[in-house]
Amino acid sequence: QDPTAAHYMFQDDPFLMPRNAANSRLYSLSKESGKNAAKYIIKNFPQYFDKTLADPNVPCLMPETFTPQTEGVSEEALKERIHLRRVKESVDLFDQLVQAGTPLSLETTNSLLDLLCFCGDEESTSEKEEESKEDLEEPGVNASEQKAPRRQFQRGLQSSGPRWRENNHAERIFKIMPERNAHSYCTMIRGMVKHGAASKAYDMYIDLLNERHKADVHTFNALIRAVPYLKERFIERWELVKDFLTHMTQQEVQPNLLTFNAILKTLRRCGVVGRSMALLVIKEMEALDIEPSLATYDHLLSIFYRGIDLPRSGIVSEVLDEVEKRSFTPQDPDDANFFSTAMQVCCDLKDVKLAYRLNNAMEVGDNWKFLDVDRLNGYWSKFFSLLCMMEQIEFVLKWYKEMSFSFFYPTPKNILDLLQALDAASQLEVIPSVWDDVKQLGFTRRHEVLEEFLSLMSRDQHPEEIQLAFAKCAEDIRAAHEPAGREQVPLEWTGSALGSVVVLFSRAGRTQDAWNMMEHFQKTNRIPTEKVMDEFLNCAKQTNCPEEAIKLVKLAASLGLPSSQRLKSRTEEEFELSETQK
Amino acid sequence: KSTASKDSTTEGASKRQEGTAGTPKQKLLEIIGNMKVEVSYRKKLQELKASESKKQAMNRLEGPNGEGPQRTTEDLQRLNPELVKAASAVASSLPLNKKQTESELLAQLRRHEETTDKQRRVGTVNIRNVISEMTVKRQSPAQRGVRISRRISLEFDEDGQRLRPERFSSQSFDSRSLKEGKRLNIFTKASTEPERALETVSSPTIWDLEFAKEIAALTAQPPRNGFEEMIQWTKEGILWEFPIDNEVGMDDDAEFHEHIFLEKHLEGFPKEGPIRHFMELVICGLSKNPYLSVKQKIEHIEWFEKYFEEKKEFLQEI
Repeated sequence: QDPTAAHYMFQDDPFLMPRNAANSRLYSLSKESGKNAAKYIIKNFPQYFDKTLADPNVPCLMPETFTPQTEGVSEEALKERIHLRRVKESVDLFDQLVQAGTPLSLETTNSLLDLLCFCGDEESTSEKEEESKEDLEEPGVNASEQKAPRRQFQRGLQSSGPRWRENNHAERIFKIMPERNAHSYCTMIRGMVKHGAASKAYDMYIDLLNERHKADVHTFNALIRAVPYLKERFIERWELVKDFLTHMTQQEVQPNLLTFNAILKTLRRCGVVGRSMALLVIKEMEALDIEPSLATYDHLLSIFYRGIDLPRSGIVSEVLDEVEKRSFTPQDPDDANFFSTAMQVCCDLKDVKLAYRLNNAMEVGDNWKFLDVDRLNGYWSKFFSLLCMMEQIEFVLKWYKEMSFSFFYPTPKNILDLLQALDAASQLEVIPSVWDDVKQLGFTRRHEVLEEFLSLMSRDQHPEEIQLAFAKCAEDIRAAHEPAGREQVPLEWTGSALGSVVVLFSRAGRTQDAWNMMEHFQKTNRIPTEKVMDEFLNCAKQTNCPEEAIKLVKLAASLGLPSSQRLKSRTEEEFELSETQK
Repeated sequence: KSTASKDSTTEGASKRQEGTAGTPKQKLLEIIGNMKVEVSYRKKLQELKASESKKQAMNRLEGPNGEGPQRTTEDLQRLNPELVKAASAVASSLPLNKKQTESELLAQLRRHEETTDKQRRVGTVNIRNVISEMTVKRQSPAQRGVRISRRISLEFDEDGQRLRPERFSSQSFDSRSLKEGKRLNIFTKASTEPERALETVSSPTIWDLEFAKEIAALTAQPPRNGFEEMIQWTKEGILWEFPIDNEVGMDDDAEFHEHIFLEKHLEGFPKEGPIRHFMELVICGLSKNPYLSVKQKIEHIEWFEKYFEEKKEFLQEI
């Protein structure tokens, strides 16, 4: 496999390969949204797609029949609509049936409750369905058919689904049910927890206990997840979790992996108590022969490695021991966070060896699949920053050449870290090539990046070719500051930036350019430093332009700088001036 | 703190050394020897105090408060005699004001003791605070609580002083390891009861289905190369499966001979004559027809049979 190539999904047209992180996301989303647009058309205009020419038929490319077949007001019709996930129609039909006095089986009512609690009482079209799910791995599934891909960015992080409204259909139906069984209570509790009504869920659970029903393991999992919203103090939260667990044993409900993951997730928000209890929970899991999943380890790392007071790397290396051994299958939606959290821990501990081990763990079996495009970018970005901090420059550059634009797209922070590493290793001649990459990535309008480049380049004198290359970069930066096009606001010059550009031009012997920059000083009301003016004078001397020197002296005098006198005398000494010029 | 007091007295001793010689060295060694005793004594006292405060925390919450200051005065009384003796020895050997130096040294030592006791007390106060927040219902949770709070207060103590870490460091290492340690002891391992498994929900609910979809989507990455793409397409049915099976999608459960050898269906027709001739041609055509199923072909033939039956009267006339 070619490590420097872009992802396969972009391999269509070399011009259309994404150059930075934003573009890569945009392109992958647009590819998916194209597919979704096609599906939308097939779904909404099935009459144009009724010829099945392919033999054998390819069902996934054909329109699906979503219209319910049974008509009339009957339990069968209700069941069908529930099956097709048509929320509004099901509720209407249910109301009609109840008004007509038709008896409905408990099972049907329960399945209607299931639908309502899962969907939070809103219409579950395919668009809403995708919105209410967690961030799916395949990029762009979130793209709705109607909206343009660009607006997907602004959607950002949406809350997971609609909120639980007061006295919505689910509650209403629950109240008017002639009989309820444990399943009814359980599904209500799960729905309330899912849509943010934690205290109601707890009340419902008390009702369930009063009716002497037994909850199932999924309900307990939901309740445990809701504990941080029920209690504030850490000790109280833990006590409540323990209460739920004791109820579980009393009701003879066996915990599963998700139970323990829920406990650990709650312990994440229990501070010190969480740290003391977490390992006890792990031992309990082991005693019950439940294999931990990646989410378990993710919660563990978050519990122990949060904040400033980091313990020694004992836990993380033990976790890595476990993870390296096998290939994980997804069992918990939180599994996908493990690798990002682990890499963050490695960065906080400043341990490169751990990071290499983590990379190896990711290569085992199917573990790589847990990182989607966004998470992958974050993961490698953190890894690269760690490398810049801790590794030698040859390795840093090797990784940079291989990884950037294929595995990940450097962030501005990565570029700054890289510059610092180059500075520490005194390899500033690499800077012009890094600048080319920065242009590709589109960071040319970021102040901190530009400042860092300019200050590093102008700090010391360098041999000739390097100086010329630096001057070229300076020219690009100057161009970035010019007003370009109608939309972009031109960047503001800072004093140091201007000074650096002048210095760079001067050292490369480009007197005219340097003088243009000096004029900018006056335009933008900034004062050049002494060093800058000395450099300019040196340049003028080298290129034998006494007029420029005189212009400089005039400028200094007009700005009222204290050094203008010194400059004047220096000019007189070093240049051969004619009488008029004096 | 012991090292600090050591330093001060050695300082004092070195000051004296400028004045006199010979005997100060002996005095110095004496003092250092006394100090060693004092340090080990201190450790013993610490352990005593720690175990006692544990017991007290279990029984009463108010206990340590009253007895704290008592103990410190006992300390002073127990330790000071030796130090006092050493201090007076130092003072007597000094040419200057004996009483003043003696009182100064003693005051310095007392100050050291006070600070150590204060900080020790601070440690116990931390435990007390945490315990008081925990509502102690029964004996065992309180015990566990004390142990937990000790670990918690260990964190407070860690940057302050190093009184306890040596004792608890081994414990804390174990408690931070995934391999060893205690468990919650809430659940017991269920015996695998097959009947229990059958009792569970018959059909998966919407929760289960959606959860399964979510989990599957976790690791559904876009294909990394052409092969993976083709695998995905084959799973979806877009690509044919290799080796290619001609009869995919065709659910014809009749064998080929049933299609071709259709003469057995001609038993209802006369054996000679134009009808037979006609039907044999029909059969010939049907056998070459790949589009009809066997059932349809039989229906065809039966239709002819019915038709000829109806028209029998007309045919008889011919």
